[in-house]
Amino acid sequence: MKLLSSFKKELILASRGFYFYVELIFALVILAVLLFAIPQNFSSTSTEYLYFNLPQEGREIFTNNILKNDLDGESEIVEIEAGGKTFDAKLIVTDEEEIYIVDSEEAVRMLAETHRNIGAVIELNNNNQLHYKYYLQGYESTRLKNLISILQNESMDVLEERFNNQDVRPLSTGYEPLSDRENTIPPLIVFSGSLMGMFIMASYIFLDKKEGVIEAYAVTASSVWQYLMSKIFVVLLTSVVSGIIIIMPIMGFRINYGLLLLLLLTTGFFASSLGLLIASFYKNLTNAFGVIYLLLIIMMVPSIAYFIPGWDPFWIKIIPSYPLLQGFKEIILPNGDIAYPLIVSAGFLAVGIILFAITNIRFKKTLSV
Amino acid sequence: MIEVEGLYYSYSNDDNFAVKDVSFKVAEGEIFGFLGPSGAGKSTTQGILTGLLQLQKGNVSVAGYDIKNISRKMFNKIGMSFEQSNVYSKLTAKENLSFYSKLFDVKTRDPMKLINLVGLGGKENIKAGEFSKGMKHRLTFARSMINNPNMWFLDEPTTGLDPAIAADIKDIIKEHNNKGVTVFLTTHNMYIADELCGRVAFIVDGEIKLIDSPKNLKLQYGEKMVDVEYVQDGNVKKETFSTIMQKDKDLLRQIIADKEILTMHTKEATLEEIFIKVTGRGLL
Repeated sequence: MKLLSSFKKELILASRGFYFYVELIFALVILAVLLFAIPQNFSSTSTEYLYFNLPQEGREIFTNNILKNDLDGESEIVEIEAGGKTFDAKLIVTDEEEIYIVDSEEAVRMLAETHRNIGAVIELNNNNQLHYKYYLQGYESTRLKNLISILQNESMDVLEERFNNQDVRPLSTGYEPLSDRENTIPPLIVFSGSLMGMFIMASYIFLDKKEGVIEAYAVTASSVWQYLMSKIFVVLLTSVVSGIIIIMPIMGFRINYGLLLLLLLTTGFFASSLGLLIASFYKNLTNAFGVIYLLLIIMMVPSIAYFIPGWDPFWIKIIPSYPLLQGFKEIILPNGDIAYPLIVSAGFLAVGIILFAITNIRFKKTLSV
Repeated sequence: MIEVEGLYYSYSNDDNFAVKDVSFKVAEGEIFGFLGPSGAGKSTTQGILTGLLQLQKGNVSVAGYDIKNISRKMFNKIGMSFEQSNVYSKLTAKENLSFYSKLFDVKTRDPMKLINLVGLGGKENIKAGEFSKGMKHRLTFARSMINNPNMWFLDEPTTGLDPAIAADIKDIIKEHNNKGVTVFLTTHNMYIADELCGRVAFIVDGEIKLIDSPKNLKLQYGEKMVDVEYVQDGNVKKETFSTIMQKDKDLLRQIIADKEILTMHTKEATLEEIFIKVTGRGLL
């Protein structure tokens, strides 16, 4: 009854405050970004500029070979600007590339320089052998440069044979990848649904500290833990609502919402307890801001690793937001592992309970007069 | 109702004590004044008695509960009015009191009746954040009565209030005390202490210097004086005479017999003057 009264009071306070709406508005902003700024799948089309400094016949052979991959089988005559000059070009668009075939090496060089794309000149050397000259941007990896060298030095027939003899066996055949838009959800939901909870919880406590109402609560027959838990309930509610705002319009009913709710609640509980613990050490938000900011930065590092599949060092896996991210990802994956979010939820619940117990002791000890 | 024995408290957990070897008892139904200047240890002592600060050394019992193992049930019996108003600024006066009324296991008072009692009638639906300092203070005071406490801690209950409202607050305190409520009054205002308290303790630098009733203190330390204005050789003269010293008594008798008296007032030593005399310190 006392807990319920405190929860009702916290809801009224939150609805008349600022932070409650910050989280919800933030969720709406994220949703808008996901729907309108992030495409369903990022385009991986690259652009290249080519000049065939070859006799007419050779030029046609190369052009026709490329044209075979054109989406509509026809090239388009376009004008393209670079360095204040306009160049005529033949545009061939394939699944992966936009290829501009121009009429001079100068055009290739200027276009590559201006538009920061790769350019190439194919010509005959003194021995009537094909000679390739590349205009790179300088930031290309050694791997790419080596690949280009191999391509030009090895016979295409040999390479093709080797490619065909490669034995590729997928480890998981039932794996359905997420679209780029869906793949962006986990880091955003971790930040909006869980990490914001930590910041907002600390803010709620500092508001109460400023008004001195914690002391007033401490001289009632209600326990401090009920006061703290009522605040956690409000943060959990906003975390769940903001999480649903972000996920439902994009994922529809394709995911297990029970599992999502469980993960949102347990991770929200962990984040709020962490926010409470931080707040127990400081008098106001200004004093605590450094620690909160540092924690937020640390918690965001796994999000960077999330978008760089090749970068996944062990120490990142220790940061709590790492399993959190993977947990949300497993939930939205069409064939996601159900056990993983359950284990993550249990872990966050256990750590949350420990943090809450420590916080309760801290608050009992640090109530000042 | 309150028993304190050998109480020590240090904020830095060393020998730098904010309260040292404090011992006193408050009987049921008494109004006990805890008087001293700012930083004397009044609020620290009250903080320990109300469980806001953890007991470090000494024995303390309040309303029959040992503070070493504080029980939440104790708070059903006690009320606490803070010096600094601490109400939810985003809640209305009525919402504030209604919320706190649900945090006790005993029958609580009607928030509206309390609001009217402290002169905030008609303002019950206004958010406390829009209240003046005095109004917030009255709301804080009203909240301390919500659970019908029989042990009432009041920290500077009339600070920042205009004289009329302060008089009303004093009347409320007296009225509750007449019904048997024990009051622990912390203040540096000697006038309110003099008016309300059955006994007072003077605390300076964390130590209690004396405990007695204001009446006994005045008898013991006060010096009764008489201010007289009279006409002498066409001029108005003003003099103060002791009613204890024989020389002054003789002079006063002679003036009354020979001169035209314009005004004559008896003057009693104030509690503040006694405090200064006893402790050698002012109250601010």
